[in-house]
Amino acid sequence: MLLMCTGITIAWHDVPAKLIQKFQLEERIIQRSATAEKEILFLQRHRRPLLPVFYQGELQILPWGNRQRNCNAPLAWWCEVATLASGAWSIYHPEPAEIQANFGLERGVWFQIREGIQGTIIHDQHEQPYVYMLLQPSSHYYQVMTGYNREPIFLGEQI
Amino acid sequence: MGTSLLGHIDADCFYVSCERVRSYSLRGVPCGVLGNQGACVIAKSYELKAYGVKTGHPIWEAKKLCPHAVFVKRDFRWYEVISRKLLDLLKTVSPLVEYYSIDEMFFDASELERSFQLPLVEATRALQALVQEQIGVPVSIGIAPSRTLAKLGSDAAKPFGVRVIEKQCEPFLRSQPVGELCGVGGRSARKLHDRNIHTCWDYREADRLMIRKLLTIKGEALWWELRGDAVTPIQTSRPPHKAIARGGSCGGKTTDPDRIRAWVVRNIERLIEALDHHRVYAGHISLQIDANKTALWLGRTPLAVPSASFRTIYDAVMPMLAAAPTNHPVSHMHIIAESLIWRNKIQKSLFFEEAQSPLDQLKHDINQKLGRFAIRSAETLPLHEIYHDATHNYDICDISGKMCF
Repeated sequence: MLLMCTGITIAWHDVPAKLIQKFQLEERIIQRSATAEKEILFLQRHRRPLLPVFYQGELQILPWGNRQRNCNAPLAWWCEVATLASGAWSIYHPEPAEIQANFGLERGVWFQIREGIQGTIIHDQHEQPYVYMLLQPSSHYYQVMTGYNREPIFLGEQI
Repeated sequence: MGTSLLGHIDADCFYVSCERVRSYSLRGVPCGVLGNQGACVIAKSYELKAYGVKTGHPIWEAKKLCPHAVFVKRDFRWYEVISRKLLDLLKTVSPLVEYYSIDEMFFDASELERSFQLPLVEATRALQALVQEQIGVPVSIGIAPSRTLAKLGSDAAKPFGVRVIEKQCEPFLRSQPVGELCGVGGRSARKLHDRNIHTCWDYREADRLMIRKLLTIKGEALWWELRGDAVTPIQTSRPPHKAIARGGSCGGKTTDPDRIRAWVVRNIERLIEALDHHRVYAGHISLQIDANKTALWLGRTPLAVPSASFRTIYDAVMPMLAAAPTNHPVSHMHIIAESLIWRNKIQKSLFFEEAQSPLDQLKHDINQKLGRFAIRSAETLPLHEIYHDATHNYDICDISGKMCF
């Protein structure tokens, strides 16, 4: 499987306590130094991959892509923006969403994300939503920084 | 001369601090700012420095030293905004301010006590707190009878400290290696070490004429400054440039003549932008080509009349490029405009082309309106990856008015 943005963090204080409790996010809390803010880490390789998403007017914690074959959402955790634009995923009725993130992780390099990442949400046959990160060919800068030729579509900036 | 007390204000890890002004989440985080290509750390926070990451480290080494560090893309425009805010704030408490560099300023500190209605040390701390509160950037401040002592003081006070140095400051000068002096580089420091001059106090106590012989009049100026005699005044405006250069990396080594020509033409267009900005014409044009960061070739051509015309500069540079050796891969290049003359001081000529043609002016106007390089020479086409990628613009920290880089 191709690697891409493999993790993000969001500031701990940006996530409502009820979501932290409901999704047991305490175990994902990290702190980069004693004086730094606490962050909640969302890794793709986590046993239960999740992402914080601003969807339907509120912050929600949703499954990051789909790993289950018995589910009719695409078996992936990202979507090339060109694929989405081509209409190849239109049978899934994708909806736009904003993935909330302060920092992203790619090939061992943490980088700052100013506003967030564009994502798309797809519902399975049980109306369970899954979020997929949108990818594009990376800029020269991003490619040198991370060593990878695709980058997420960031909100309001291109790294 | 003329002021009895000088101050030096130096922002702590300035680029990172600027990023922290607009991104609260970066506070306390080990953070590095990356250069133009996203490859090298050009600035780092104290938290990152503690892991052994140094300025100039490539990112692949930095991430090994500190795997949880966060890297940020440079934004020189934003750093300029913060820098000018700091300059403006300083002007409200001091009658004379020198814009020394993007993150360092000298100022006349003789009015500081009166401005804050506090004794000198407390007034300096109040200034530091004011900067932190109004701009959000931590600074260190040195106050002394001369600028060299003031700079030594602020350097020694880092991070986020203040230091007031009296004329008699033997213990302090004994604690400062001579290499800490601004203006004493590695070679000068070795010369001084050979004469058993290791600390700033040794320098101050050395024979003045010996210092002058060893390090010229600039070394002697430092000698006076270390004794508390201010010989270098505060300069509130930048003296005119002696030369303006544009160039730098060619994005990797290349022997491809089309790419080399494209880089030359790109740098000519950047140079003309700078000449337009500073309202000057060039009397001489030089081309320097580097292989592996070592000067490979340097050519210099006088222009028939001072000019900022693309055609004239192009016609001067291209024969120099044609004469350059072609058997080494080119890594860097610079095009340098010298013998600069103000545009309103130029002697008109009946026999030569205008210093700028109507076409140059049209190109300038369109690029001002539609964006940089909206119109550019077709010879830059081989560099499509640069012009088609907004993140890949080889920008430089070029802020007008400051005294040094």
